[in-house]
Amino acid sequence: MGFLVTTLIFLVVGIIASLCVRICCNRGPSANLLHLTLIITATVCCWMMWAIVYLSQMKPLIVPILNETE
Amino acid sequence: MGESGRGCCPPMDLMRSEPMQLVQLIIPIESAHLAVSYLGDLGLIQFKDLNAEKSPFQRTYAIQIKRCGEMARKLRFFRDQMSKAGLPPAARSVTPSLTSLDDLEVKLGDLEAELVEINANSEKLQRSYNELVEYKLVLEKAGEFFYSARSSAEAHQREYASNLSGEESLETPLLSEQAAMDPSKQVKLGFITGLVPRDKSMAFERILFRATRGNVLLKQAVVDEPVIDPVSGEKVEKNVFVVFFSGERAKNKILKICEAFGANRYAFNEDLGKQSQMINEVSGRLSELKTTIDAGLVHRGNLLQTIGEQFEQWNLLVRKEKAIYHTLNMLSIDVSKKCLVAEGWSPVFATKQIQDALHQATHDSNSQVDAIFRVLHTREMPPTYFQTNKFTSAFQEIVDAYGVAKYQEANPGVYTIVTFPFLFAVMFGDWGHGICLLLGTLYFIIREKKLLSQKLGDIMEMTFGGRYVIMLMALFSIYTGLIYNEFFSVPFELFARSAYVCRDPACRDSTSVGLIKARDTYPFGVDPAWHGTRSELPFLNSLKMKMSILLGVAQMNLGIILSFFNALFFKNSLNIWFQFIPQMIFLNSLFGYLSVLIIIKWCTGSQADLYHVMIYMFLSPTDELGENQLFPGQKLTQIVLLLLALVSVPWMLLPKPFLLKLQHSRHQGESYAPLPGTDESLQAEANHDSHDHEEFEFSEVFVHQLIHTIEFVLGAVSNTASYLRLWALSLAHSELSSVFYEKVLLLAWGFNNVIILIIGIIVFICATVGVLLVMETLSAFLHALRLHWVEFQNKFYEGDGYKFYPFSFALLDYEEE
Repeated sequence: MGFLVTTLIFLVVGIIASLCVRICCNRGPSANLLHLTLIITATVCCWMMWAIVYLSQMKPLIVPILNETE
Repeated sequence: MGESGRGCCPPMDLMRSEPMQLVQLIIPIESAHLAVSYLGDLGLIQFKDLNAEKSPFQRTYAIQIKRCGEMARKLRFFRDQMSKAGLPPAARSVTPSLTSLDDLEVKLGDLEAELVEINANSEKLQRSYNELVEYKLVLEKAGEFFYSARSSAEAHQREYASNLSGEESLETPLLSEQAAMDPSKQVKLGFITGLVPRDKSMAFERILFRATRGNVLLKQAVVDEPVIDPVSGEKVEKNVFVVFFSGERAKNKILKICEAFGANRYAFNEDLGKQSQMINEVSGRLSELKTTIDAGLVHRGNLLQTIGEQFEQWNLLVRKEKAIYHTLNMLSIDVSKKCLVAEGWSPVFATKQIQDALHQATHDSNSQVDAIFRVLHTREMPPTYFQTNKFTSAFQEIVDAYGVAKYQEANPGVYTIVTFPFLFAVMFGDWGHGICLLLGTLYFIIREKKLLSQKLGDIMEMTFGGRYVIMLMALFSIYTGLIYNEFFSVPFELFARSAYVCRDPACRDSTSVGLIKARDTYPFGVDPAWHGTRSELPFLNSLKMKMSILLGVAQMNLGIILSFFNALFFKNSLNIWFQFIPQMIFLNSLFGYLSVLIIIKWCTGSQADLYHVMIYMFLSPTDELGENQLFPGQKLTQIVLLLLALVSVPWMLLPKPFLLKLQHSRHQGESYAPLPGTDESLQAEANHDSHDHEEFEFSEVFVHQLIHTIEFVLGAVSNTASYLRLWALSLAHSELSSVFYEKVLLLAWGFNNVIILIIGIIVFICATVGVLLVMETLSAFLHALRLHWVEFQNKFYEGDGYKFYPFSFALLDYEEE
């Protein structure tokens, strides 16, 4: 799974979540907008976190060196 | 990040505080009370005090408030009495016997008088009962003294007599015979009996001895059970004493000492027959008193029971009435004394509800005249009112604790709902701990209804109030824990196999050169192969440090973008052109560039030293980069970015004050021209102008802008550095949890002993709960709080508004308890 595929998964999950919230608790346009904002923010945060960790491991400058005792 | 609020979208909940209006109500005096009561039920209007210059005693309804205060005092008295009697007031009674205030006042007065009388009587009875109990004790104990003394004296006498009958020895005192034989010369000893508190008895004895120079005989007997003291009504451990003395002076002294020691004295008769008669008499009276007291208690209990049934209702009524009169006192009375004029803030959406309430009040009070509802135009800053629900209110409180939003400015609370728990979780990433936290908070959420109704302790109350915050914190912690691949610091190969393998089948140089990456990158989170290796810390440090900077730059950018939406909303184009744009350029040309470099470095696997690049970007921007070059044309880009950053500082500082000055002088010219519109708007406009422009002082504006610019430029550096706390705390958390796991749990496991293992598990659980789940949660919470209050909110948030406090009966409950 490459970077783009997982990013796409995040995108799809975000869209599904927004749709779910839109369908499950539809409380007028202003509340829906708030819910959408919350979900977009949450998705972006989660994606950023994942992307940072993934990117940092793509081309490792250092590799795991096991401890002597093991 | 997701932002909105453009003209095309509907207004977002919680983003801006509710639009407010200043309304004027003119209410006929006969329906005023009812109208205010209905408005209190509605709870959507904040009355302004129109009589601020009057003292509480000069106001129209001062007498009624005093009456309500008196009734509240009576109710408090009843509550005290009930809690003493162990009768909790019944929950809201079902019988709706809504009495009027006057009836209630009479009723409360009667009940109070009755209760006070009953109390006084029963107190009197109780006192005499206690006295009798003590008296009885004295009679019994002192009787024993006298009896034993008498028998021993008789024995003595007999012995003496037998001695006499025998031969007179040399030792026989010559005088004793005469003394014994001559009854007229016998000294009549007096005595006093009574009870003294046991803890004072030693001192009592000593003082008696000294005061009478030893010419006293004190006998004490311990009373086994504590006695109720008639004076204080408390249970005290006491001793019965008998003091023998001789002479009137000694008697006086002893009486005084008894008084000083709180020793109750009781008359005692030497005669045995009389003693038994007294005891019988006292016992009879005791049982008589007992029945009387019991009857009194039953009567009192019944009275309190009837009070308790309706107590809550009365209490509510009195408090409501008091609040209503308090509000009525804030209204100004018309010259004709026929109507009251109220002014107050209310949300625009509540207009219809308020009008309905007023109409209802007019109808119900059979008033001839309808109340008048009028919207006033004002330049005053309206209060800030966010309609929160049980989920969002805790987050809004986090923001409000820093400062209440200015009227209608962008509310950081919207983003705080997600970013606060997220930044918390970055510092608290461990999905084991996250699950523990989630279970804890789910308990609160599931039992929400029950816990809401009961009173909790201080800390519990706070945790309960923030239950949804903690829930989101826990959920994000589980997510970041999966990313960090830590479950109580143990990694799992959940998503794929580790990307790293040994270089050769024998794995010989795995401890010197290390493993090699042979497969695709681990798809989700940190590769489990890192755990416990020698290079784990350098790798995680580098990763988390860079992550902190990336997240920080993203959040600060969000903050600056929110300032753009604020400027757009308030139609302040100066702030867009001379604050928002240079700020964006400044931050992103330095730290945005750093973020880009970090990502490029990761993607290309370059060996470039980013510190070196950033430092020499300032020191010698024209030098060749050499091996630190990450992309072609980097030198030129850096020079351009540096120039942009340098330009944006004066851009932020200079134009805005000058343009404001220009605007001001142009406005002044305009205000002399005739204004179109009605008188009212003219007046309002003039008012506004005088407010806005009289105080314009260029130097002040300039200094303000200077401070703002310096704060931003320095803040860009220090705030970015401040985000490194994300790295530090997450490092501390993972190190601590791995220490507890390895040094406690694994060590105990190694002993192969059940008892040691159990102890190890207990210590591990205590350390995990105490240190990681409680203290670390607290510290990560505080750091996330700081990142929001300072680093995020100082980019756009003014926070100088004031909160909307509506007059509402629903809020009354909280205030007084």
